[in-house]
Amino acid sequence: MSSSIVRWSVLGVAAAAALAAGIYFAYDARTAKPESEPLAAAALNGLALPDVDGKEQRLDQWRGKLIVVNFWATWCAPCREEMPEFIKAQSELGPKGLQFVGIAVDQPDKVKQFAEEIGLNYPTLVGGFGAMELSKTLGNHLMALPFSVVMDRKGTIVYTQLGTLKPDKLTAITRQYL
Amino acid sequence: MDRSPTLTGSPRKPSRRSGAARIAAALACALGLTAAVAADPKLLPPEQAFRFSARALDERTLEARFAVADGYYLYRDKFVFALEPQPPGFAAPQLPPGKLKDDQFFGKVETYRGEVVVNLPLPAAAAGQSIVVAADSQGCADAGVCYPANRQKITLVIPAAGKGPGAVVEAYPRKKSWFN
Repeated sequence: MSSSIVRWSVLGVAAAAALAAGIYFAYDARTAKPESEPLAAAALNGLALPDVDGKEQRLDQWRGKLIVVNFWATWCAPCREEMPEFIKAQSELGPKGLQFVGIAVDQPDKVKQFAEEIGLNYPTLVGGFGAMELSKTLGNHLMALPFSVVMDRKGTIVYTQLGTLKPDKLTAITRQYL
Repeated sequence: MDRSPTLTGSPRKPSRRSGAARIAAALACALGLTAAVAADPKLLPPEQAFRFSARALDERTLEARFAVADGYYLYRDKFVFALEPQPPGFAAPQLPPGKLKDDQFFGKVETYRGEVVVNLPLPAAAAGQSIVVAADSQGCADAGVCYPANRQKITLVIPAAGKGPGAVVEAYPRKKSWFN
């Protein structure tokens, strides 16, 4: 009787462990190297959104550069806070192949005004809620801002950041991929 | 103690999580949590960071309430309340004063932390009538992220005169925990 209980307990634990392992590997594959990543990267590379002047811009025009796609908005204080660093990095490392591209979840007139105010030296596109949805597929599950995605020269996503992309992190990224 | 949520980046490389973290991740999935919550355990989705609930106080007043989680805040000037159907004579409610913040970008702004209670006067409503309270709100986490403006809705039933307040209705009811 008791040995039967022990046997079933062992089997139960083994089954639970197998289930957990299966779930873990599925989970790990999704977060560390999601199978959908090439699809997400393809969606991002093929993205076409209007710029502040209403002219459609495709993201793949910057292919071959190290691209930092920064989802932001004028109503988001932490977004505004990190942008001067991006302007500085664009100015210093742009000639070496660094390219920032903003995607504003905002109204075009507000974006244009703010871009002029801070002397934005990289393009920013304007998207609505669709841009937020896109950021979700790229790992921004909370759909919060700022959110940055770094793509290497081949268009592969190498880093994502929810919240401000700190200067030391940006330096580490550019050192590794530029 | 600083209870602010914290953020980390996500290098797209195979992770080297500890065994405990791996088991926690597996369990998180097994318990039906989303990958987002599992991957970013210290940041809340907006509906949990800013919990909206409402109740009918009487046949002439509705009460809307936001419970703002520690480390998060809402902007006072982003609040918009509406009723559906909109009763004739409905006016924007009086909002309680917020905490004045001198924001480097937005100048002087008022923010709410903790509990925010707003009374919505009902000029005309019949007992038993269903009414939808729609609340637009927008806020941020001290950790350095902001959530877009979000509309949440709650349906209330107007109580009969003298019957006392109706039940509190939450926009996103808390899930029952297995541990309490």
